[in-house]
Order: sequence, then structure tokens, then C-alpha cells
Amino acid sequence: MSAEARGHRRQDRPPVLGIAGLTIEFATRRGAARVVDDVTLDVWPQEIVGLIGESGSGKTMTALAVLGLLPRTARITTGDIRLSGASLLGLPEAQLRTIRGRQIAMIPQNPMSALNPVLRVGAQVGEPYVLHRGADWKTALTQAVRRLADVHLPLPDERASEYPHQFSGGMQQRAMTAMAIALDPPLLVADEPTTALDVTIQAQILRLLREIRDEHHTSMLFITHDLAVVAEMCDWVYVMYAGRILEQGSVERIFARPGHPYTQALLRATPTGEAAQAELISIPGSIPSPVDLPRGCRFVDRCPYRFKHCDEEPPLLTVEADHTARCWLVETHG
Amino acid sequence: MSVQLAQRERHWVGRSAVHWRRFRLLLIGGCLVGLVVLSAIFADVISPYSPYDIDVAIKLQPPNRAHWLGTDEFGRDVLSRVIHAARISVKVAAVAVSVGLIGGGVIGIAAGYFGGPVDMVLMRFMELLFSFPAILLAIVLMAVLGTSILNAMTAIGIIFIPGFSRLARAATQDVLRQQYIEAAHTIGMSDVRILTREILPNIITPLFVEAMAAFAYAVLLESSLSFLGLGAQPPEPSWGNMLNTGRGFMDQAPWLGVVPGMAMLIGVLGFNLLGDGLRDVFDPRLREAA
Repeated sequence: MSAEARGHRRQDRPPVLGIAGLTIEFATRRGAARVVDDVTLDVWPQEIVGLIGESGSGKTMTALAVLGLLPRTARITTGDIRLSGASLLGLPEAQLRTIRGRQIAMIPQNPMSALNPVLRVGAQVGEPYVLHRGADWKTALTQAVRRLADVHLPLPDERASEYPHQFSGGMQQRAMTAMAIALDPPLLVADEPTTALDVTIQAQILRLLREIRDEHHTSMLFITHDLAVVAEMCDWVYVMYAGRILEQGSVERIFARPGHPYTQALLRATPTGEAAQAELISIPGSIPSPVDLPRGCRFVDRCPYRFKHCDEEPPLLTVEADHTARCWLVETHG
Repeated sequence: MSVQLAQRERHWVGRSAVHWRRFRLLLIGGCLVGLVVLSAIFADVISPYSPYDIDVAIKLQPPNRAHWLGTDEFGRDVLSRVIHAARISVKVAAVAVSVGLIGGGVIGIAAGYFGGPVDMVLMRFMELLFSFPAILLAIVLMAVLGTSILNAMTAIGIIFIPGFSRLARAATQDVLRQQYIEAAHTIGMSDVRILTREILPNIITPLFVEAMAAFAYAVLLESSLSFLGLGAQPPEPSWGNMLNTGRGFMDQAPWLGVVPGMAMLIGVLGFNLLGDGLRDVFDPRLREAA
């Protein structure tokens, strides 16, 4: 699948989601906090694109910007976000509302708190039909039950008339997924959709999301901090750190030959389950504050290979075909 | 196995006890409120005499077979009067609570949802209203509006607005922090739709419970105003003006004061218990916790 998906990257038609040079700043008392810095990212048709990073790397802000739901204090200073070629920036709120839910939908991190506790699940899953299609509630409920069946919720008829607290975490996430795919949006933004779930349930939800990509021809921006999930889910990966894209490429290439010391460290820090790995490895230090970013490379403070060149930030350098990394050492690697 | 079974048994017993305690509140409250409301609705059918018929020959009779709760200083049947008075109390309370609930609800939700200067202006105005003692504010409003039962309803309603608005504002702010509001934005819902579909159903329960408590308070306030001569005007019966009359005959004819007093007790207690009981029944989260 992924080889085929990568083929789409060479096509003439525009990507489903095209983010170009996006910079987002917050005004704080200590000056402008640049939480997203010159991020360029493409999601091509039917691709699952991973955006991976630690907490505070700016990945959720990027997702919110795509939906036009940044907090009021945030400002997009430069860059563009295009959905199937059409720019989303500067659109009036009323127009953005018609896009949300219909063209882009989001699968949230914590399904329990993302469902309204006092409304029946069926009414919530059916909401997009009423909202965007002007359907009556009876039709909407029928559609909701169909969608709940699509996401393999057992007994969708009966479950639709239950309340969220009667659902398990996995079932809640299935319901949220049903709501997201209700109107078959071309783009799904999944913000750590499995982080709040049990490991066994995680696998089920991931399988479901892959199935949705295959059957509904949906593209997905998949935000996570979990490399194992990326390996299993994604076709293409962007590694984000302190607001910057440090490395990007196809999943196989990045896992086979990580170009950036940060990616290498992330890979080492991911438990593999091999007996040889006696203890968990962590990356020393912490992510720099967005108001006090290091000059030069963002990772310089934590990088084991830093040398004098690192005071100057490298551009994305080619590691190999379909794979670039923002590190001076890439060149010497050849 | 048997230990497990015993534990489950105990759990079940504990659970049903909690259920019963809640249900009992609802049941008692419901009965008392039912009594008052039914009296109000069917006053003409169930009262044995007209509340206005004067017969000085039988004035100040203690309770007897013909007049179960005695007669007043003009020979009017006290039972009939107390039943008709329920009508005024319920009517005043219903209108006043509606005024308070709708007015306060709209103000509070707007303040909570939009925040900033809207919140600032609305809430300072509410605090201004809140700073007056309720009965004093009612008297001032009645003095401005004039003495009538309609104005009593309005005055009591206005007194309720700040309380409802604060509750609605706090509840709205609480709901706004929830992720399902963010989720609602991500599927493209507008502000108005989020307010009516996501927020309102979540805050309606506390508002409803408050409304029941306010109902009890409205009955008391109406009686107070009538007691002071500002509410229902004689010869129209009201628990407040009956109590005021009874005060003058406390040593000769204590039933004139005791009967409307008891009626007020039943009404106030009933609405309070019903409010508590309904809260437990309506809140799906509390229902699960049981």
C-alpha cells in the first residue's frame, strides 16, 4: 500500500492537505513564542501521514491551524494551508464551519471527554447530517446507526440509543470515528487517537483507521508521539521538534536509516521488546522553550554529535530519495 | 464463592437503599406538590363553599363537621379559602420562576459563553440587583410598579434573575472547558447551535433544581408580600393575607393562622423535596454512580 501511496506524491493534482511555510506565534509577556516555525507538510490522497513529536513540539497547534481552531491568542504570521489546492487562511468563520465536518474532520485524543455526557450517542453521531445536510433527526439517526456499523460497533441499533458513559473507551473512540467519517470527509486529522486507550484496544482502533483509509479513500494526518504506532500506520512521516520539521520521508526509509540524531534517539528510546534491551532509554534534557529557542539547530542542546557547525541551522538535506533531514551530518554520511 | 455472593448481595442491598432514599424524597415531595397543585387547579370543584360568601352568623367558628377548618371573622369557610389561595400561590410562583429562569438563564449563558466585556457588564448589573435584600427589593419594585398580583409576579421574578444568572454562568463556563465543545467546533457547529445543543442540555439540570427551590421561595415571598398587603388584595384569599388576618385572632381563633401557615409549610417543603429528588433522577451521571 505504501509504495502505491507514495506514487501519489508524484501526481500533478494537488495534495489533499498542503501546508507551506506555516509559522504560528503566541504573544506572551516574555515575547513572541514561536510554537510552529516554517512547517511545510503535504498529505496526498489516501496517504496516512504521521506527524510525530514530543509534547510541546507544536504538532497539535499545527492540527488546530488546519481546522481553523487556533486559540484566539495565537497568530499565523506566515505560510499557507491549502485543502485540495484552495487556501483556508483568511476564510470567514462561517465558511470554515461548512468545511469542518464536511471536508476535514477530527478524531480526538480522549474520546470519553469528547462525547457530550447528556446526549445519546446516536444523536451525536447523527449531528453532522443535520448540521451539514439539513437532514431530519429520523434520517440522521438511521445514518448514524449505519456509520456505527461501519466502525464495527456491535449492536449499533441498540448502542445508538445509549449514553456515552455506557460505552467502553474503545467503543467511545469508535463512536467518535463514526462521527468523523459521517460525511466522508477527504481529510481526517487524528490527534493521538489511541493515547488514552488500552494497548489491546489501540491495535483495534488503528486497524479500524487503516480500514477507513482503504474503504472510504480518506487521507489522514496522524499526530502521535509513538514511533511504534507510526511504523504500523503511516506511509510518510514528519518528525517535529520545537516547532520545526527535523526530518521527513517514507516510513521504511526513516526507520531503516534515520538521518537526524533526534530521530535516531527517538528510535532508540522506543521499546522494541527484544531481550537485548535491558532497560528503557531516554533522551537527556528537555525540549527548549518556544520563547527561548537555541540559535542554530533546535536539537543542539541535547545532541550527542554536536560540533561547531551546529550554531547555524541546516536546511533539510537529502539523505536519499524520499528522505530529508535537517542535520549537517547528513552530508558527510553521503 | 459464598463470600462473593454475599458481597454482591450487600452491594445490591446498599444500592437499593440509596435508590429508595432518593425515590422517597421524590415521592414525598411529589405528593405534597401534587396536593397543592391539584388544589389550585380544581379549587372550584373541591372547595365545599365559595371562598367569598360572607355569613356573619357563623363567624369565627372552630373546626366542625360543616366547616372542617372553621370559619373566619366574616364567617367564610377557611378550607375553601386556603384551597383557593393555593391557586394564587402556584400561579405567582410559576410566573415568577419562569421570569427568573428565562431572564437569568439567558443573561448567565451569554455572560459565560462570550466572556470578556459582555460578562463584565452583565455580572456587575446582577451583583447590583443581588446586593439588595430580596424582600426589600420586592417592596421597592412594588412601590414603583404599583400593588397588584401581576406586579408581585414581576417583582419576585426580577429578584430571581441574579441567582439564576450566576448559576447559568458558572455551569456554562464549566461545560465550555469540556472537550466535547471543542469536538463540536471540529464538526462545524455554530455558536448558537453549540449553546442550544451542547451546553443547554448540560446545564438544564442544575437550573431545574434551582427552579424548584426558587418555587418554594416564591411561595414564601408571595405570602410575605400579601402579608404586608402588597400582593393579593382582599377579598381575594392568599396564604399571606390569611396569615396576616389570623395574627389578629391568634388567641380567639388560632386556626385562622395555623391553617394558612400549614399550607405554606406543605407547599415550601414539597417543592424543595421535589427539586432534590428530580435532580437525582434526571442527572444521568448521578444515576450511574448509584
